[in-house]
Amino acid sequence: MEKTIVVPIDFKVESLNALRLALNTIQEGKVNVVLMYAETPSDSITEFLFYSPEAVIDSLKTREFEEAISILKNRYESLLGSVKIELFHGYTSNALANFLEAQKVSKIYFSKNYTLKPHKKGFDPIPLLKKAKIPYQEVGVDTDGFWSEWVSLNALFSF
Amino acid sequence: MKTQLKIALFLIFTNSLMLLLFGGSIYYFLYNYSYTDFYKRLETRATIAAKYNFDADKINAESFKMIRREHLEKLLAEREYLYKVENSNDLTEIAQKSELPMAFLRDIMANGKATRQVDETFFTGIRHESHSNIYIVIVSAKNYYASNHLLFMRNVILMGIVLIALITTYLSFFFSKRIFDPIKHITDRVKQISTDNIHLRIEEKDNDAEISQLISTFNDLLNRLETAFETQKNFVSNASHEFGTPLTSIMGEAEVMLMKQRSPEEYQQSLMSILGQAERLNQITQTLLYLAQTGYTNKRVNFEILRTDDLIWQVKEMIDKLNPKNNIQVDFSLLPENPKKLKVMGNRQLLSLAFTNILTNACKYSNNKPVVVTIASSDNQVFLVFQDQGIGIPESELPFIFDPFFRASNTRNFEGYGIGLPLTRNIIKIHNGLLHVSSVVNEGTVVQIKLPLAILP
Repeated sequence: MEKTIVVPIDFKVESLNALRLALNTIQEGKVNVVLMYAETPSDSITEFLFYSPEAVIDSLKTREFEEAISILKNRYESLLGSVKIELFHGYTSNALANFLEAQKVSKIYFSKNYTLKPHKKGFDPIPLLKKAKIPYQEVGVDTDGFWSEWVSLNALFSF
Repeated sequence: MKTQLKIALFLIFTNSLMLLLFGGSIYYFLYNYSYTDFYKRLETRATIAAKYNFDADKINAESFKMIRREHLEKLLAEREYLYKVENSNDLTEIAQKSELPMAFLRDIMANGKATRQVDETFFTGIRHESHSNIYIVIVSAKNYYASNHLLFMRNVILMGIVLIALITTYLSFFFSKRIFDPIKHITDRVKQISTDNIHLRIEEKDNDAEISQLISTFNDLLNRLETAFETQKNFVSNASHEFGTPLTSIMGEAEVMLMKQRSPEEYQQSLMSILGQAERLNQITQTLLYLAQTGYTNKRVNFEILRTDDLIWQVKEMIDKLNPKNNIQVDFSLLPENPKKLKVMGNRQLLSLAFTNILTNACKYSNNKPVVVTIASSDNQVFLVFQDQGIGIPESELPFIFDPFFRASNTRNFEGYGIGLPLTRNIIKIHNGLLHVSSVVNEGTVVQIKLPLAILP
């Protein structure tokens, strides 16, 4: 069965750990992933004239981040359908509901250990996501420090 | 030819060419214009002359003459020729009388009007028909404007060109010298630097972006060279120390044995100890040889397609035999599903050697605490991460860990020579990979290796 999940990100490798843990909980089927980055839109009309979500995403994406996505794609090759990054501009539950409906999202996943550290104009969408009508699941490991540390993707990219 | 001179000459040449084109075209077009304009003026005068001589009655003729006197300026050496032409023989007669060339007169008759220049005098002639008679009206004058003003302007333009060319020459030399002076300065300064005074640096300037960039690049290069020299010096002292220790103990052992007669057991024991030291020497030489081979030869090592997870397992099995107490855990939680993504081009012996080095170090310096090996792969490289919970490396000493024979200050209680890590680095370098070590003292060390994926057909 094909389904779409959404995972909030901050374009740091650590935030992809939630996706990894989420994929671990899903056993079979086909999963399409929407990586959501929440950002306050610019209030300058001239900037809106030349607004392009692709350009915004490109400027935020780092090489490590892309590598981490490709590692996950390789790891969950049979499980993963598509992985795309989407920008979310909005503050209200209604805006989020529209966004989730447009992306046909059936479940939300986010990490319970990691707090998103968005860039200057971005914000943490987790409080908003918790209020959404679509079910959410908090993922994370409760085991002792060492093990949860080494399973994080981040260790691969600290240089 | 020096670049400085080349640039100056090129600037002078292009500038002079542009100047010449500019001045020449001004002169040429003005010259052309002044001639056509002058012929037109002559033609107007000829038309008016024909009008009052042949068409108008007496009173009108007077007023025509007056208008002409009042409004048309008298030209230099202005002269009018009026002839009546009845048949073609008249033309020869007119030609003789007026001393004008025959062709000019024929031109007038044929085309209705014609122009001609004889020396400095300009002629415009028109054919005029009036009361069924045909007349030829010719007006001639000297072009004062062309002969004087144009000449004056030509001189001014020539003077200007010469003057500007002189200024350009001066400026070209000035600027090319100014551009190349700092470079010459750098060259002079770098020439002074030799192996004896490699600590010398070029002073940086802040006002010149490109030049200061060049200078800082040079200085960086010198810094690296200096470090390389230092390492070389350290290498020799460290190597002699490493070789010296076993040699001294061999010599000491032998001397003690030779002091007096000993029992066979004692000899045996002593020879065993000498053998042990010799083996140690042999091992150091072997590793050094490897280091030299991997570091300096351009000879390609034989590469084959290898699976990195396979290699890790083999290395782990080998270490299990040598050190059964080890606690190496291989983490497959990021292992790609497709085994193709684990294949790299490499030399089996060398890569095994590198991984063995890292893993034995990890076990040794952590007293067999858990060591975790993570394997992951992206679309173009394989990531291998070795994490231990050992003694770590002090941050200040991290930059030197790849120097041969360097040993961190907290490794006194552990046996080793300090050649393993440089060798590992060389091996990874041969495989076009990256090796990175990060560490926190007493918490552990993380060694990360990136190897490019093999391109499979």
